[in-house]
Amino acid sequence: MKVGIPRALIYWKRPYFWENFFENLGLEVLLSPMTNKEIIETGVKTSDPENCFSNKVYWGHLLWLEGKCNFIFVPRLKTNEEKLEYCPKFFGIPDLAKILVKTPILTEIFDERKEKFEKTLEKLGQKLKKTKKEVKEALEKTLLREKEAKEKERKKFFEKISSKKKKIILISHPYNLYDEYINLKMGERLQKLGSEVIFIDEIPANKLQAEWPKFHWEFGKEIMEKIDEILKHEISGAIQISSFACGCDAVLKEFVEKRVKEAKVPFLYLIIDEHTGEAGFQTRLEAFVDTI
Amino acid sequence: MIPIVTFARWGNYTIAFKTLFEQLGVKVISPEKTTSQTITEGAKIAPEMYCFPLKVNLGNYLEAIRKGANTIFMATALSGSCRLRYYGIVQDKVLREAGYQPNFIIFDQNLKDIYFKLKKISKASFWQILKAAKFCLRKLRLVEKLEKKAQYIRPREIEKGAIDRLLNEAFLKLEKINKEKDFSNFQKEIFKKVSEIRIDKDRDVPKVGLIGEIYTVCDPIVNFEVEKKLGQKGFEVHREMDLTYHLKKKIFLWKDWIIQKEINPYLRSTVGGHGRDAIYEMLKYTKEGFDGIIHLLPAMCMPEVTVRPILEKIHQESGIPFLSLSLDEQVAEAGINTRLEAFVDVVENYYARKKA
Repeated sequence: MKVGIPRALIYWKRPYFWENFFENLGLEVLLSPMTNKEIIETGVKTSDPENCFSNKVYWGHLLWLEGKCNFIFVPRLKTNEEKLEYCPKFFGIPDLAKILVKTPILTEIFDERKEKFEKTLEKLGQKLKKTKKEVKEALEKTLLREKEAKEKERKKFFEKISSKKKKIILISHPYNLYDEYINLKMGERLQKLGSEVIFIDEIPANKLQAEWPKFHWEFGKEIMEKIDEILKHEISGAIQISSFACGCDAVLKEFVEKRVKEAKVPFLYLIIDEHTGEAGFQTRLEAFVDTI
Repeated sequence: MIPIVTFARWGNYTIAFKTLFEQLGVKVISPEKTTSQTITEGAKIAPEMYCFPLKVNLGNYLEAIRKGANTIFMATALSGSCRLRYYGIVQDKVLREAGYQPNFIIFDQNLKDIYFKLKKISKASFWQILKAAKFCLRKLRLVEKLEKKAQYIRPREIEKGAIDRLLNEAFLKLEKINKEKDFSNFQKEIFKKVSEIRIDKDRDVPKVGLIGEIYTVCDPIVNFEVEKKLGQKGFEVHREMDLTYHLKKKIFLWKDWIIQKEINPYLRSTVGGHGRDAIYEMLKYTKEGFDGIIHLLPAMCMPEVTVRPILEKIHQESGIPFLSLSLDEQVAEAGINTRLEAFVDVVENYYARKKA
């Protein structure tokens, strides 16, 4: 049995978790390739024109997987373990996926307000005819791998933060940060310009509740906390990347910008979409690095 | 500082909201009619990617602030999943950055919160607040009833434009009424006048359903009077989404459950806002044999954009004419008119084919 996972949007929320989990369950996993021009084009063509760019990319990945596997895994992420909500657009993704592709969709509702994560996975396992024990074992193995990866990330962060170069933090959602085609190799570009790039994800979270409006979005709270943490260190600049038409970022940006500017750190806001040109991007980054 | 209250304009409901404050003895500056100038001004200081109603609200506030208002009353939905949750905070922040210092009062959509915030600002007694709220609700109901009557009469009236002339006059008068006794008389009088309008009762007219986001659907200025335009072209417009519907859903909590049951084949979760309701209404109208559906939404509204592919699917399955209009500060009336005219032709063809 082959399960397809679109390498976009939800995937990057917990990279490597889902593919490892299904592999540990004894399934064959087919990941869609890293985003490329073709995927974006098909995504943009099929999507609602006003949907956010990240969603459009997701449809592209979904269509790439069509017919190549037995079913495609599209979870319905509602709340995380802190009982905070995901982006409301995630709520409807499985239903929209069903309209878009003919390959059966494998889905389960992850709502930790109502049900523990392990329990939901068990239900998912049932759909795949796996026993509770098998699911539990697979989960333990996967979590171990994930922990290792996170440990590595932590070490890398402390290396980076003690570096002598100009330090720039990139603030965005994981699906914009780690998808290099979408963010036009932002990290690499900045490194070439002689600065150390720190992704907001790599920063260990500061659990103290800041004075910020209480976000009911998991990423909102996380990003604000991490910004509070990183601003304690010496930072040369901050760049926020948003997908075009991202509704959540319209709110988040207001507060990120305020916080960063209050700390007197230069701030650059970039919006990416299918028309973003490399040349324009490079110029703005160069100008920004020059100013700091 | 004596509080001089203002609030966001919302169609003809503005009349009722104004009454609420007046009855409490609070000084109130009612927001002026939204114009393209208002919208441009609001959009100038609003976050670029934020949804449209926020920008209109800001424009309304700015006008009222210039007239002397110093306190803003704004409703949010602290239990919802959509961006309305952050309207108050963001508007407050944006206004401050633009150099204004309003006292921003954000209230959640529940009775307790509304009561205490009203009490704090007006220092009125419990009975006074209760009475004012009752009067406000009565006016609100009358506005809705008149709008519903107009939807029925417009395509059937013999003298064109009679009902709209009457309504304009009535809303102006309604705004000035500040005694409940006068209100009861006025209500009787206006219903009598409405029933005196000569209509062609036997005329069979095509029916169009209006669905979508509550703010754009209920504010005739923001949606370029879609309802009136269609009515004058000879269509009976139906619209279930209004403030009463929304308030009822807050009280009768099982309504959401019923809606979810109906739309299960299409969407198995809430998507925030009134996303589910749009699907539910479209299914209902399709079943009832309507001849067209118009979907109104602020551009990039998260719930409505999410459900739009589903609405399009229903449209493809049933063949019912469907038009989705996104509204924002860049949309011009001429563009909307062209699309409406094309839609009118499609609906007329559909209707004629159905009858043949």
